[in-house]
Amino acid sequence: MATISGAGTRQNTYDAIVIGSGISGGWAAKELSEKGLKTLVLERGRDVKHGDYPTAMLDSWQFPGRNKLPQAALATQQKQNRTGYTTHPGSAHWFVNDVENPYSEDKPFDWMRGYHVGGRSLLWGRQSYRFSDLDFEANAKDGVAVDWPIRYADLAPWYDYVERYAGISGSTENLPHLPDGQFLPPMEMNCLEREVKKRIAAKFNGRPMIIGRAANLTREHLGRGTCQSRNRCIRGCPYGAYFSSNASTLPAAYASGNLTLRPFSIVNQIIYDEAKGRATGVRVIDAQTNEVIEFHAKVIFSCASAVASTFILLNSKSQRFPNGLGNDSGELGHNLMDHHFKVGATGMSDEFADTYYKGSRPNGIYIPRFRNLNAATKQKDYLRGFGYQGNASRVDWTQNIKELSQFGAGLKADLIAPGPWRFGIGSWGECLPYHENRLYLNDAVRDKWGQPTVTFSCEWKQNELNMRKDMKASAVEMLEAAGLRKVTAFDDGSAPGLCIHEMGTARMGRDPKSSVLNAWNQVHTAPNVFVTDGACMTSNSCVNPSLTYMALTARACDRAVSELKQHNL
Amino acid sequence: MSLNFSPATNDPQAIGRREALKRTALLLGAALSPSILAGALRAQVPATGAAKPVYLTAAEFATVVAAAERILPRTDTPGAADVGVPAFIDLMVGEYLTPAEKKTFLAGLAEVETASAQAHRRAFSQLVPVEQDTLLKRIATAAEGKQGTFFHLLREATLAGYFTSETVGKTVTHYDPIPGPFQGCIPMSQVGNVAWTR
Repeated sequence: MATISGAGTRQNTYDAIVIGSGISGGWAAKELSEKGLKTLVLERGRDVKHGDYPTAMLDSWQFPGRNKLPQAALATQQKQNRTGYTTHPGSAHWFVNDVENPYSEDKPFDWMRGYHVGGRSLLWGRQSYRFSDLDFEANAKDGVAVDWPIRYADLAPWYDYVERYAGISGSTENLPHLPDGQFLPPMEMNCLEREVKKRIAAKFNGRPMIIGRAANLTREHLGRGTCQSRNRCIRGCPYGAYFSSNASTLPAAYASGNLTLRPFSIVNQIIYDEAKGRATGVRVIDAQTNEVIEFHAKVIFSCASAVASTFILLNSKSQRFPNGLGNDSGELGHNLMDHHFKVGATGMSDEFADTYYKGSRPNGIYIPRFRNLNAATKQKDYLRGFGYQGNASRVDWTQNIKELSQFGAGLKADLIAPGPWRFGIGSWGECLPYHENRLYLNDAVRDKWGQPTVTFSCEWKQNELNMRKDMKASAVEMLEAAGLRKVTAFDDGSAPGLCIHEMGTARMGRDPKSSVLNAWNQVHTAPNVFVTDGACMTSNSCVNPSLTYMALTARACDRAVSELKQHNL
Repeated sequence: MSLNFSPATNDPQAIGRREALKRTALLLGAALSPSILAGALRAQVPATGAAKPVYLTAAEFATVVAAAERILPRTDTPGAADVGVPAFIDLMVGEYLTPAEKKTFLAGLAEVETASAQAHRRAFSQLVPVEQDTLLKRIATAAEGKQGTFFHLLREATLAGYFTSETVGKTVTHYDPIPGPFQGCIPMSQVGNVAWTR
């Protein structure tokens, strides 16, 4: 690194710095700026203003290759392509160029990233479930890893708070292990889903099938529009009908008058002042000019994503912290988790042949966890549990399942008409936090700005593999009980990372000797640094995590402002 | 265009799926012909008829035109050649298939021509439809149970090129890019008994 500009100057000094503008960063920007702090948001990628979604209104015939990218484009996204859906021409521009943004894999790890304002809040699956005490108490009860330093009661009001703003559609179900929230009206199930729900309820105690809880608006909400059932969310929604930083939190932060957002700003490290025992700012590389700039603030929120926040902390080396900021415990970079998925079953139905649905619902059904809830549901060969997401739909030409030798006028007529109903469920399973599942800095492979890169060493272990057998068998069992025919199990395998729920690498805990963050997401040993993205997670539940990041972020912002007022930071 | 019909009697659960499909086809025919379908065909035929391949040879392209049209032939709805599928396949071969897929595809086209020459001493495109069908069916049957064969690639590209075309998307399947609030359970007749445009 050559010259450092702006060091210590007043114009580079703010009350708060937020690293990243995704789900967590957007919330930090909104909360801190609305509470009166002059807030600088640093985003490593380009700016994207709400509405700046170039493919949102394009039909398939308006893309040169229709639903495909040419080989030349795919060559730059070989890792992003592993999901099978990210490199669609409608969404590929939201995912990184793998050639320019390399990482390494001791064991397969699929790292899906979007470098732009809004980050993956533009791209997420929008499923929004609360953790419960089943999750927060799990590590302590199982004697696994370390205990969460918080319980559901600590987070419940913050779930209320973020749900009221974000807008979550869903149904109230009174399930202790999947707490209800502040819901907008639920989306509808389709005809077959309604019937399957009834049949599963009749045959299985304690396996309710509910409509997915989704951050898609079922009515106008705080100036954002109702979901139009286009199911093109991943391209960006011109109606603002799903929650994203771009449509929701960043406009609110701008409206406060206290937000400065700087795109193309790669945070290389957090600056730690040994004399003060505090972080004083961050060192940024301008992605376009390569200029190195320092910014200063009283509090720093790292919301760059689990992997990127961990990278920044590991790369923030000082005499006090030779192994990375806040890493006295040696746990930084360890305990990497994701959900394991892509296992379940599908079945066909001959019923409801004269019924269909209007629109393409960007949401499915959900079967909450039913294993290891209590003594009666205790499993012999694995801890924790899994939930199912799925849906029923009428098969169309994209899922053509006819024999190859059938072609001609009959095939065409069959594919023009709605095909038979198919019902499918896939399972999302919890994984345990293993110390040896980790990421670390790789000094040998440097990025184009000369920074070290990340190497992953992470794998599923026996608990996850045992659970997967049940995930498959229980899916078959339920679909058969629901009267579906041709029930077929699948286990397509999923490397860690593919679920894009990476978390755990700077975990919260009660003891600085075994964790990185305290109960308010503050670095134990640098309390004016907050980490509120997936890195903070002590265990990963089996539910989708983004809503929990929102709640933890809003709670941490409240703490930061209160501590600032009391001159504790 | 709108594809809303109110068929007098439409109870497919009672009449069975095959009959329902037949009715659907009849209804479509009624809805699309003559003026709209003819208009769509007029708009498409000159373009594809005159289309020159960019990546395939003229002979290869002629095989593709004929084969795609047998997979999805013109009936009361447009056929593959009517909606530019051959040009789409040409582009797929040139820029979208992997090198291995491209090799498989070109070898498959050559095999079609060899088989045609052996059996009929004519190019595949010069055969009558029933001869073309027999030849393609033999290739398809041999490919059954395998993955990524020439016929898989041909069929997939034909279906994709057809159903993602503007003509089919707007006049054959049900086009409504902004459906509004999701309705879970409606009579199929409300969308003209055809699938949603994807």
